[in-house]
Amino acid sequence: MTRRRVVITGMGTVNPLGHDVESTWRALLACESGLAKTTLFDASSYPTTFSAEVKGYDFARQFPNASRHRHAGRHCQFALGAAMQAWRESGLDDYKELDRSRLGVYLGSGEGSLDFDNFTSLLVDAWRDGRLDTVRWSQLALAKMDLHRETEQESNMVLAHLAGEFGVAGPAFNVLTACAASTQAIGEAAMQVRRGDVDAIITGGAHSMIHPYGVTGFNRLTALSVRNDEISTASRPFDLTRDGFVLGEGASILILEDYGLARRRGARILAEVLGYGASADAFRITDQDPAGAGAAASMRAALDDSGCSPGDIQYISAHGTGTKQNDSVETKAVKAVFGDLAGKVPVSSVKSSLGHLIAAAGATELITCVLAIRDGILPPTTHYRTPDPECDLDYIPNAPRKATVRVCMSNSFGFGGQNNTLIISACP
Amino acid sequence: MADRRVAITGLGVVSPTGIGIKPLWESLLNGKSGIRPISLFDAGKFPCHIGGELADFSARNFVPKDYRKAVKVMARDIEIAVAAANLAFGDSGIVTRSAGDDKMTIEPSRLGCNIGAGLICSDLDELGSAINTSVADGKFDIRAWGSQGMNNLTPLWLLKYLPNMLSCHVTIIHGAEGPSNTITCGDASGHLTVGEAARLIERGSVDAVIAGGAESKLNLMGALRQTLLNRLCPDGASPQQACRPFDVTADGTVIGEGGGLLILEELTHAQARGARIYAEVVGFGGACDPAGFDVTRPTVGGLAQAVAKALADAGIAAKDVGLILAHGTAVANEDALESAAWEQAMGESARTIPATAVTGAIGSLFAGAGGVELAVAAMALHTQTVPPTVNFSTAAEFCHLNLSAQPRGAEIEHVVSGAFGTGGQSGACILRRYRK
Repeated sequence: MTRRRVVITGMGTVNPLGHDVESTWRALLACESGLAKTTLFDASSYPTTFSAEVKGYDFARQFPNASRHRHAGRHCQFALGAAMQAWRESGLDDYKELDRSRLGVYLGSGEGSLDFDNFTSLLVDAWRDGRLDTVRWSQLALAKMDLHRETEQESNMVLAHLAGEFGVAGPAFNVLTACAASTQAIGEAAMQVRRGDVDAIITGGAHSMIHPYGVTGFNRLTALSVRNDEISTASRPFDLTRDGFVLGEGASILILEDYGLARRRGARILAEVLGYGASADAFRITDQDPAGAGAAASMRAALDDSGCSPGDIQYISAHGTGTKQNDSVETKAVKAVFGDLAGKVPVSSVKSSLGHLIAAAGATELITCVLAIRDGILPPTTHYRTPDPECDLDYIPNAPRKATVRVCMSNSFGFGGQNNTLIISACP
Repeated sequence: MADRRVAITGLGVVSPTGIGIKPLWESLLNGKSGIRPISLFDAGKFPCHIGGELADFSARNFVPKDYRKAVKVMARDIEIAVAAANLAFGDSGIVTRSAGDDKMTIEPSRLGCNIGAGLICSDLDELGSAINTSVADGKFDIRAWGSQGMNNLTPLWLLKYLPNMLSCHVTIIHGAEGPSNTITCGDASGHLTVGEAARLIERGSVDAVIAGGAESKLNLMGALRQTLLNRLCPDGASPQQACRPFDVTADGTVIGEGGGLLILEELTHAQARGARIYAEVVGFGGACDPAGFDVTRPTVGGLAQAVAKALADAGIAAKDVGLILAHGTAVANEDALESAAWEQAMGESARTIPATAVTGAIGSLFAGAGGVELAVAAMALHTQTVPPTVNFSTAAEFCHLNLSAQPRGAEIEHVVSGAFGTGGQSGACILRRYRK
């Protein structure tokens, strides 16, 4: 049995650098920074006062059916926008023969944010003698908290909105494997197509943790950069002076489909998904396996699945968060897998410009791989100044590079040790 | 590759009526309910003060000594998953890293993990005591919080509440280095997870995988959200009889807590080590209801489609099924849609084939539900017994399923089990009786 081939026929994104694929790509190649002072809440006294926010996105104006999704949370609004771009590009909108029960959706979407003002004031108003007065709390909660604001926080709700918008009746999954979520979603979505469970599938991710508790959580973990006086250059993957990642937000959605279907309906094929690999560090919840064994296993599994050898990979889109640990571990893992070729294959992290979109990061990065193949140009690692002896690969520093590439690898490693790798190639 | 068959060789459940598959199964056959007045918190002005609370549960008993410190950074959902995993591996006979690095009887990279999870709510007392250090004039002061207040939270605070931590702790404790996933689709999570896990085995990525889900919404935020959704039954005379799926008197569900994890194993791998095989996973289907995003309308997430796909995937007809394990939330309009979905997918057979649901005994476990339901399905095949539908007496007008409050002996070749959740996703799995 020859296996079904899986191709990408549509892409869309809403992120800190743009509200669509082309403007994002231009900004990345121009080395723009999506980082700025946090405006979504007063973070002025937080250890980290900046982030990579989506700027100026007006869902009500930019999205055609916005009123239908009036309860959609911030990340869900991003996802709907990104999905509409991808859906239109794929041309599936006009393909009337599409069997909706064979259209799936497989997302790596984050939870919605808490109703911060109500939630927090309730904790204050119902606090008595050092503990929560639950009678008072429940009374206030029933009066103040809103059904939709609460239910939209469940991490299957972006899935639900996308299914509603595009009439999906086939299988629907959401995975939330932290920073690896959308890479895992795309990989598993590809498996759905390959196995023949669906003809086409909407995949990718969405997330926004730029809220008072999200930043609190990451600040307490000391995972974020605290370069409050050098905001625009604070995200420094692989640089010796890196001091943490920069929290971003956004959504990126791709349409995957069966190659045969794409050919039959004359769709423009953007790239082929060649391989997918996954692994677990099984090490610690707070640290990556320092030898990078889990990350390496994920890359090897993807190579194996794709039938590629390391020599076939012409560009690696790194997880490259800008934390001390990730970047050196990832470098070790690349060396373990690529051996003598490790210094020759270009590696970059677009998180240097975009920030870390958490669950939405992997899908956004995969889109940049597709564009790199299309345009023959590799996005740079920006803000790279001081080499780190532990990070000694070719990181495409500070300027895009012309290169004809046909096969790219994209890595995502989730907090807690869930690792995922995708390999894509030029149109078959 | 399609000839890699998937066996179920271990069952681990944590439920309000029993911790471990044996106590759960026995209490089910005895028609017992685990619903009681909530003692974990005071439900205050909420209309429902009962729940399926775990009795005598401590995760510390289920983790290796050198990992006990980590229990402090586990939300209850994580504790449940960790306990269920310990029970499942123990039941399967696979020795994992929890017994020592050199004792593992499976290749770590060939052991996967896929655990469904829900939205985990932070502990309000813990967060509240930190928040209340940053109050000025009776109002929360975010500047005080940012500069000082947040330091009252433990540095690992965020990690208690990330849904992927169920999988991550389990992979660490047991040395599972294969693919690891976390599916978050409400009540459908368990079935979707087991379906995906079976495919990991089929496509050769792993030889065994621990799969299912765990959740506890038995806390103030969970109670609030389910109350706002209007899905809970009011307090009645008897907590034990409060949750009555498909019954004419059904008037809402009860929040339970728990989870179920199954060890799925490639058949020849299981046979080679002489494992006990409860059943095989032979079919899976997933679907969704495009109208599910409107949470004010009831939905069963396209369950009929999921069941039809699962039957087709297994290559069987509806009449080949010997037991329907329904989800049965006891929310009347959901029960009605569910009953219709089974009929739509299985025709007349849906009225004659024995059916059951476990929600009456344990309440709604959300992401934990599917794993428990599939563990019960496996036991039904293994023992050729249909467990009773606890609290069922008179079928609701719309309900044509063949339910009984008594256990029944039966010839069961296949069980079909399906579930759906708020938001509109569904999943269905077909288990087959294993014959040597």
